[in-house]
Amino acid sequence: MDAKGDPIIEIRGLRKRFGHRTALAGVDLRVTKRQIVAVTGPDGAGKTTLLRTLAGLLEIEAEVATVLGYDLRGDVTELKAHTGYVPQTFALQRDLSILDNLRFTARLHRIPADELRRRADALLARTGLAPFADRMTSALSGGMKQKLAIANALLPAPALLVLDEPTAGVDVMARSEIWSILAESRRTAAVVVSTSYLDEAEQADRLVYLDEGRVVADGVPAVLRRESPRELYRAWTDDARHVARAARGLAFAAAVRASGRFVRVEVERAPDRDRATVTRAIAAIPGVLLVEPLPPDMESTLRHLASAA
Amino acid sequence: MSAVIETRGLTKRFGNFTAVDDLSIAVEPGSIFAFLGANGSGKSTTIRMLIGVLRPTSGTITVDGVDVIRHPRRVRDRIGYMGQRVSLYQGLSIRENVEFYAGLYGLEGDALERRWGGLRERLALGDAEGERPENLPAGIRQRAGLALATLHEPRVLFLDEPTAGVDVESRGLFWDRIAEEAERGVTVFVTTHFLEEVEYCDWVCFIEAGKLIADAAPEALRERHSGGYRIHLAVGGEACERAARRLREAGLAPRPTGDGLELDTTTLDARVLALLGELVPPDAVHIEQPPMTDVFRRLLAREAA
Repeated sequence: MDAKGDPIIEIRGLRKRFGHRTALAGVDLRVTKRQIVAVTGPDGAGKTTLLRTLAGLLEIEAEVATVLGYDLRGDVTELKAHTGYVPQTFALQRDLSILDNLRFTARLHRIPADELRRRADALLARTGLAPFADRMTSALSGGMKQKLAIANALLPAPALLVLDEPTAGVDVMARSEIWSILAESRRTAAVVVSTSYLDEAEQADRLVYLDEGRVVADGVPAVLRRESPRELYRAWTDDARHVARAARGLAFAAAVRASGRFVRVEVERAPDRDRATVTRAIAAIPGVLLVEPLPPDMESTLRHLASAA
Repeated sequence: MSAVIETRGLTKRFGNFTAVDDLSIAVEPGSIFAFLGANGSGKSTTIRMLIGVLRPTSGTITVDGVDVIRHPRRVRDRIGYMGQRVSLYQGLSIRENVEFYAGLYGLEGDALERRWGGLRERLALGDAEGERPENLPAGIRQRAGLALATLHEPRVLFLDEPTAGVDVESRGLFWDRIAEEAERGVTVFVTTHFLEEVEYCDWVCFIEAGKLIADAAPEALRERHSGGYRIHLAVGGEACERAARRLREAGLAPRPTGDGLELDTTTLDARVLALLGELVPPDAVHIEQPPMTDVFRRLLAREAA
């Protein structure tokens, strides 16, 4: 809740159409705490539309739609001043240096020079960009560009930070740096971030799964995982591709993937089939050395949601 | 078997900056080869040299028997390439895109119908055939991109971050197709930032600042650059003592825990797996595998030190 005790995001029955296409078909979302809310789901599920709505960039229909206490159906000028938005495609000035990009944003937000210096120093240190402050933005690597985009969104000290797949195509080191920045931003802002990485969905405080413009699941990642009705088995083998081909022939296998030393087999839970039966059937495949029944992981959980929707 | 992609001393300088530094790699035919590196490590520069669109400063490159530096055009007929931005023409339907690309390769009539019919089926593109790419979700666009890249039945496929920004379901479908291509004998050279995808590959190279810092099978990298596997066995009483004895005889070092045994091992070979299966029922074994993410963090930390 903010100082007045209002939720940070309160949305009910959110709808958005683009021509004949329905992007959001009745989304409910309530965020009351400063936490990292990850939004995931299939391509075309409406993730970007939801994020742009939260940033006050779209005209929408809804029963209730307030963000930071501002009604999304009214004047959103003030909301935009308190929201940092990082779009999917890099939108900063390529022919300016890192520091000049921050100066440019500071001018738009009328941040005084001494305040800019203080905030820019802190953000450049936090993002590890300080040694490159004078480098042209066009000469930055993908990971550095994304960190600059985030620093830029944080410069006006927003109460809400909205990021659209900030780590797509970013390497593992830069991704973990970006997530440290998000975790720290949580002290002063609620963070809503879309992602298609499994490990990121796992480490969010809360996970919202969208499909066809609707919220299909919403909860703490570990709880969603625990409650998933899809069982997971690992068949350890020296010949994963061969075993995977055989496992695809099992009637109950919902998804099968060769993954190095083992084959993952996902099975939809059913009353007429216990884990021992499934384990035995997998163990009977020639080449299987050991079958390990496992609790659902993020991959099996998301695949279940995708197949159930 | 001789390598289908091979570089020796491959180097590319831009002014004073060395983007790729003395790179020697060899890719086995029919394998899935992961080529990894941080953003800005020289990955894309290397791929552009391999497919004959960028001339190296020095070194040699052979792809499917062709000297790429001497005959950059000749190699392009033998390879398929799919970049991070799938090259589909907007405004043309998927079917029209297919016809356009087929024309470039001289593929037409019945031969085109047969080839496209097979790809359409395997890549689940039937419903999307009449649609324009700009109206399709990323996962389908990417499968259509793969269809175009393989229309002329290339023996070598270069895929540069084919799954970036694609959802988990589509990534799974995509990798199934890649495995099928490899089984048919196609060599697949792929880059990715999804480190779990490294596990689907036969071999992995990792470059940092233009230099090769790892070149091995994924499992071998895990052996060298991780804390190894940790195995938990839920077993009590006499069975526990028996299991501990057998494990020690096999050269392992089990430790007693509150509810059974725990042991660490860098290799998880057939012998160890079979022994575990023999000692306890399946639901009493839990194997913790060090994730590839940790392997690469360690590799990079070692390189930095």
